Amino acid sequence: MKYLNNILSITIIILIIVLVTIGLISAIGSDVTKAITGFFWGIFGSFYGLSEVLVRATPLILAGLGVAIGFRTGFFNIGAEGQIYMGAIAATVIGLEFPNLPPFILIPLVILGGFLLGGFWAVIPGFLKARFGLSEIINTIMFNYIAINIVGILVRTSLKDPNYPLPMSPELPENMYLQQLLYPTRLHIGFIIALVASLLIYVLMWKMVAGFKMRAVGLNPRGSKCSGISVYKNILLASLISGGLAGVAGVSEIAGLHYRLLEGISPGFGYIAIIVALLGRNHPVGVVFAAIGIAALQVGSITMQVQSGVPTSISWIIMGLLVLLILARRTVSSVNSDQKEEATL
Amino acid sequence: MIADFFVGLEAFISATIRMAIPLALAGLGETYSEKSGILNIGLEGIMLCGAFFSFIVAFLTNSLAMGITAGILGGMIISSIHSFISIKYKADQTITGLALNFFVAGLTSYLFLLFFGKSTNLPECLMVPVINIPFLWKIPFFGPVLFQQDGYVYFTLFAVIITWILFYRTEWGVNLHAVGESPKAADSVGLNVIRIRYISAMVNGFFGGLAGSYLTLALLGFFMENITSGRGYIALVVVILGRRNPLGVLLASLLIGSANALQFQIQVKGLAVPSQVFIMFPYIITVVVLLFSIGKSHDPSSLGIPFTRSKR
Repeated sequence: MKYLNNILSITIIILIIVLVTIGLISAIGSDVTKAITGFFWGIFGSFYGLSEVLVRATPLILAGLGVAIGFRTGFFNIGAEGQIYMGAIAATVIGLEFPNLPPFILIPLVILGGFLLGGFWAVIPGFLKARFGLSEIINTIMFNYIAINIVGILVRTSLKDPNYPLPMSPELPENMYLQQLLYPTRLHIGFIIALVASLLIYVLMWKMVAGFKMRAVGLNPRGSKCSGISVYKNILLASLISGGLAGVAGVSEIAGLHYRLLEGISPGFGYIAIIVALLGRNHPVGVVFAAIGIAALQVGSITMQVQSGVPTSISWIIMGLLVLLILARRTVSSVNSDQKEEATL
Repeated sequence: MIADFFVGLEAFISATIRMAIPLALAGLGETYSEKSGILNIGLEGIMLCGAFFSFIVAFLTNSLAMGITAGILGGMIISSIHSFISIKYKADQTITGLALNFFVAGLTSYLFLLFFGKSTNLPECLMVPVINIPFLWKIPFFGPVLFQQDGYVYFTLFAVIITWILFYRTEWGVNLHAVGESPKAADSVGLNVIRIRYISAMVNGFFGGLAGSYLTLALLGFFMENITSGRGYIALVVVILGRRNPLGVLLASLLIGSANALQFQIQVKGLAVPSQVFIMFPYIITVVVLLFSIGKSHDPSSLGIPFTRSKR
């Protein structure tokens, strides 16, 4: 019965999404068939399209993992966007300082640097939450705006490329580039790094004591405290890893795609990562699939914009709607089980 | 010299008030909602929706009244979705709010493109006029600052006072506090918890939408993507800092508003530093200001927790 309910509710959600999409496309006066063909053609129509989905998924997996760990530990990290930028800053500074280091030293060094600076950017709100109970949601959002403006300042001042009038850093040394996987596509080793990271996070969160403690704090801070698990330390740890992973996403974008520090390296990846974590049910495997799914949605909508003029903001509408519908569904189907749980308590 | 100083001060205080109004209005609405136990992070979306619909309707009808009404309705629609999902379906209020913010950000920029295409010059709409309070506006210094403002400013002051009376001098206010602090107790003495929460959410949508309409109809006169740029989140800080007291909310908004005004005043001096230095100033101030709320803030006990009637 519950199984049937699940299938039914998922079908209803898909139906609503499809209807809204068709409505939005026809509202702007585009041909629905042409637009939807364009959407799928963009994803599956070419090898390049498929590879582009994985390119887009790379930062989403990394940042999404970070957000998921935060959620599991009770740290609502809305600041992945800013942490991505901080990771990118760290990678740029290290790359420009040590251009002559061999790749096998420089690449791990920039990844570590990105992890630490991204992590630092999340540990501050984490500390303020764990120590003083200040809302991490508000602080991480404010830190996003601050980080983006710091990048804006840096690419106009100390990190500016003197040879160009545009606000961007000089080209980074080749020794830190993440190897391309399938030339001529843009897919790079960052994707493999993201997959390895999700494996590591799975082991950490589900096979190690440290992860167990973090999840315990997320489930029941008071209970954890009474059993001798430090809420304070675990929130600090979770925020460090959470921001660190987003920082690595920033490194991967810089060292794998742009090869420079620019203002627009993240078109909202940090915010989309929240949706990725939610859809992936805060589990590494789920995050990987959700990131690929959302990346496909975005790549498809870009082609759809080119071919039939449907604005890409449609993907934000769809993502927001999807989360709202899923939120409503989860509780609808859990109402029955809740009552059962209460009866047994 | 002294005259110059007063002219500067006058401009600064006027700018402070202008920057504070959207925060105060949105914060006031959020105060109703949080007192009843609903934490609405979707305030950003409510304001954005209010800003868009007030702009588009004012643009199309050339009527400010219609524009303001549309903005309020836009805010109330988003707030009603949030309250419906979080009250009826008992979903996580934070995530619902965030999802709504994404949804509204996409929707407004989609609709904006639908109406205006990708034109480079921003279409402009009517702006609310300044209302001079008879006689009082002629008072030197205080006149221009306090009695030569637009209708929003007077309305905000009025709303703050009314809200204060409602909260602390009426039975409805006591009921509201009861619902937020202990919904079970409130329910057991016959209060309709669900209804009070819905009403508070609607009030939140009203004020949030109005705050959004202020951005387009009074502050800027045009609409662009993500015009709220985090003001909804800053309004949440104002609520915490103001300790959910209408007067406190007003003072907190004036404080953050003054940081914004200061930023503009320094920016026009044309110093040789990137403008980003000033743009990030209000966000830093918001974090600093939040630090001052340490240990002083008392959240309603049931804030963010859905109410289930049968639950023991």
